[in-house]
Amino acid sequence: MSKTFSRTMARKRVMSTDGVLIGTIKNVMVDLGTGQVVDLIVKPDESFRTEGYRMDGDKMFVPFEAVKDIKDYIVVDRYLLQKSA
Amino acid sequence: MRTQITELFGLNVYTDKAVYVGSVDDVVIDVDAKKIDSLAVGNLNPEIGEIKGYKGLQIPFRIIKNISDIVLIRHVAGVFKSPQEKE
Repeated sequence: MSKTFSRTMARKRVMSTDGVLIGTIKNVMVDLGTGQVVDLIVKPDESFRTEGYRMDGDKMFVPFEAVKDIKDYIVVDRYLLQKSA
Repeated sequence: MRTQITELFGLNVYTDKAVYVGSVDDVVIDVDAKKIDSLAVGNLNPEIGEIKGYKGLQIPFRIIKNISDIVLIRHVAGVFKSPQEKE
């Protein structure tokens, strides 16, 4: 089981399973009632085209469903990410 | 209620017997279960019991009753001493 401290997640880069750099993590949205982690708030990289994704201003919401693992990078599934947009 | 995780840092943790435990240093996330696993609590109250040699405690999410202006956790007998028991 993989567990991570949220402070070590700060400023980690978010990468998709097909190797595209998406951006850097800004914050994590949690539901305090259930303890569920809902979304990652990501600042998209300049090279990343954000059309078709769930955005709020310059921030991008990445559903935690799409997160595969968190080690040196935060790896997300780009397919799952788009589907929920 | 949805909150940014950084809002939790620094919140004071009390048990439901109004015993101060400490303040939130970090939040442990279980990546597979997509849930908050526990809160890492530091700045511990030396009165709550055997905490010598420990810098912090991990409070499992299941004993947390509510989080708002403070974090309220279940008072676990044997882990936290309440002021009355000390006499």
